[in-house]
Amino acid sequence: MCVGSGGADSMNQPLPTASEVFRPEQLAGMAGLSSASSGDDDLSQYLPHLDRMSAQLTQTSSQIESSVLMVCQSFQEIAVRAKATVAMGRTFVSGADDDHHGQAEGSFDTLLKRCGHTLVHVLNITELSTEVSRRAVERVKQIERASRKITGALDQLNEITKGNRIMALNARIEAAHAGERGAGFAVVAVEVAAQSERSQQVTSQISGFVEELRALAVSTLTDLEQTIQRDQAQVERCRIEVQESLDELQSSHRRMKQVLDSISRDGEVLANDIGIAVRGMQFQDRVSQRIAHVVHDLSVLRSQLAARTAEDGGTGQCGAENFAAYTMREERLVAGSTEAESAEGDVELF
Amino acid sequence: MRKILIVDDSASMRQMVGFTLRDGGYEVLEAEHGQDALDKLKTTTVDLIVTDLNMPVMDGITLIQEVRKQPAMKLKPILMLTTEGLASRKEQAKAAGATGWLVKPFEPEKLLSTVSKVLP
Repeated sequence: MCVGSGGADSMNQPLPTASEVFRPEQLAGMAGLSSASSGDDDLSQYLPHLDRMSAQLTQTSSQIESSVLMVCQSFQEIAVRAKATVAMGRTFVSGADDDHHGQAEGSFDTLLKRCGHTLVHVLNITELSTEVSRRAVERVKQIERASRKITGALDQLNEITKGNRIMALNARIEAAHAGERGAGFAVVAVEVAAQSERSQQVTSQISGFVEELRALAVSTLTDLEQTIQRDQAQVERCRIEVQESLDELQSSHRRMKQVLDSISRDGEVLANDIGIAVRGMQFQDRVSQRIAHVVHDLSVLRSQLAARTAEDGGTGQCGAENFAAYTMREERLVAGSTEAESAEGDVELF
Repeated sequence: MRKILIVDDSASMRQMVGFTLRDGGYEVLEAEHGQDALDKLKTTTVDLIVTDLNMPVMDGITLIQEVRKQPAMKLKPILMLTTEGLASRKEQAKAAGATGWLVKPFEPEKLLSTVSKVLP
């Protein structure tokens, strides 16, 4: 909208005088200069017209101002809302907090960063858990190896027990050969054989316990290894899924940011347009001033006509110079003046 | 927040100038003419006055002359915002104590940059 430049140029044209507005015969007639037909009775008929013209012009000026005020108010509200929307969008996308220059709570950036941090935290905990499981596996393996050694030792103990039983048997044979003198030796041989038998039973029991322990260790080992494998696979799946979700979020975030950037740019353009509109609507100020001049002229004209009809009897002079009595004389003078305006443009600091 | 007094007999001009200045981060007071401005200055202080030239009751030049008589307002910047561009009127304003002269219609950005220059 370029009302400002074109409108301002047209408004800078010299204001018309009363003699330019009215036809010569009208002006002469209204001012009582006509010698032909316009008597005081004729002049008086113009008075109500002049009153109506003044009233209409004043009303028009007031209506224009009201309209401009409403339009201005609307533009202001649009500008304020656009500004607030852009600021809110920027905060949401970037997390920039205009007041605190920090990250705003609940911003999209913050949310993404939090998700990323949580994912890393979960992965770290899972890694730690897997490491503990690995150490448990290693210890169970150690237990299994130890139980193998115990089994080996028990085998050796069994061999010793077998040797003792054979030795006891041989001792009983030798005691029988010795007759009465070997009777005591035979009792010892029997007792050694009995002890060897109990020792073999205990060894056998221990061997059974160790075997159970080994079976438990192997079973635990298998479970742990399966759990580790399953956990690792699940963690990897979760990691991939979360990463994909984060990638999608970031992609959406980028698109949203582009849209909001575009809205932000539109907002700036809108603010600029509103600035142009504000400049353009200032025509109303000049229009009001000019209407005030015309109304004042009409008022002067009316008072002169009234005076003529009441007192002068239609012979007095009513010069056009009387119409120069403006409420804003200087502004009128500027419009028609040939005096050079300042070369400083529309802004000048003294 | 810096406080600016706008003096103009046109309500729409006051609104447009006020909107521009508020948008620029200033607090704005409004007066309809010079006498209204002087009355308001009795109860409040401002950092800058932006005044029209031709107004009923009291015009801009008289306002500046009256304001400059007040010790508190002696050095405060006063900008004229008017449709006039006549050099002799500018000289009158300058002699009365005006700080600067802007011609209507104003451009919001130009008004803000001028205000920021006189309100460092």
